[in-house]
Amino acid sequence: MDLHDLTAAYALDALDGDEAEAYERHLGQCEECRAQLAELNETASALAFAAVAPPPPARLREAILETAAAERSNVVPLLRRRWVARSLAVAAAAAACVVVGLAVALTHSNHAPRPVTMALSRDASGNVTVTFSGLGTVPRSKTYEAWVIPKGKAPQRAGLFSGGGDTTLHLKGAVPKGAVVAVTIEPHGGTKAPTTTPIVSARA
Amino acid sequence: MNRQLAHLSDEALVLLAARSEESALAELYDRYGRTAYGLALRILRDRALAEDAVQEAFLTVWRTASKFVPERGKASTWILTLAHRRAVDAVRREERRRADSLERAPEPSVEGVDEDAWLRLQRERVQEALKRLPDAQREALELAYYGGLSQSELAERLGQPLGTIKSRMFGGLSRLRELLGEPGTEVSWTSMT
Repeated sequence: MDLHDLTAAYALDALDGDEAEAYERHLGQCEECRAQLAELNETASALAFAAVAPPPPARLREAILETAAAERSNVVPLLRRRWVARSLAVAAAAAACVVVGLAVALTHSNHAPRPVTMALSRDASGNVTVTFSGLGTVPRSKTYEAWVIPKGKAPQRAGLFSGGGDTTLHLKGAVPKGAVVAVTIEPHGGTKAPTTTPIVSARA
Repeated sequence: MNRQLAHLSDEALVLLAARSEESALAELYDRYGRTAYGLALRILRDRALAEDAVQEAFLTVWRTASKFVPERGKASTWILTLAHRRAVDAVRREERRRADSLERAPEPSVEGVDEDAWLRLQRERVQEALKRLPDAQREALELAYYGGLSQSELAERLGQPLGTIKSRMFGGLSRLRELLGEPGTEVSWTSMT
């Protein structure tokens, strides 16, 4: 059986269980099939639009959103609450000042979602301290880079760090009120302007 | 309905859903729930089973949104592929498919169906492209995609060698891709909102 030939059938879900498994294993090793499958999948899914039907009952939308909300409140927020509380405590201890910004993001470490919190605190003279918890260590070839983005202006470099455990960072220079503080992962040594999407950001 | 998210791309909504933003899931459902349900109903011909398939698909979106990789394909493709797979799994599990049921199933009528403009455009463009396929290719695509038949079932049903079925499916999808890609036929969500 030539597995390359199965791409269209796989895109149409027309393979039996065993065939589909064999094809999926092949897919992991064949860049050409992955590219072709992406195209054929898109075309196959366009066929969905040609099916004509009455609208689904309103209860379907409700059931989906209720189940989703129930899953969320069971898992993520509990985790979040604990991390947020911890992060706030760390921030308060690090600098006796007001916490002005707080963000929570999920990053992925060993495929498990991992909550990261970033707390911003500002002292009397306007200097901002950033406290992270849950931030994994970046590989040696990379660095975390903090950015201060004043309203309507380009991001300004605000420091490099390697993460791991609880990290406290004193931002270079004054941070204007309302500016956004963001963190990206950049090549070792940092860059002049962010090249990746921020993993976490908050308003100072 | 929270329309603040209406300007966001499907992919941005998936990223928000990955951060447990329920309103993003609601917006994705409002965009694709109806299409997913129409598809599941066409495959399963049973409202309760179709609802289950759509619910499972959207909850899979919710649970695995963080694994979605925008570079590998569109979010709408991902969502509709999930819905299709759930419906096909269900139809095979329920053994509801009978050799002659496809001919007897009445083609759903558009009359009285209150579609929005975007969905109607999409439907017309895909139906138009399907009509322009050679009959044998169209038949293979329809029996596989809407009928939930596997390629070996198709070969048996149509009395053709498996190789012929494979090339009809491949040829049909490739031709359909060309037809859908022709200028003037592409309709994007953002251009309609």
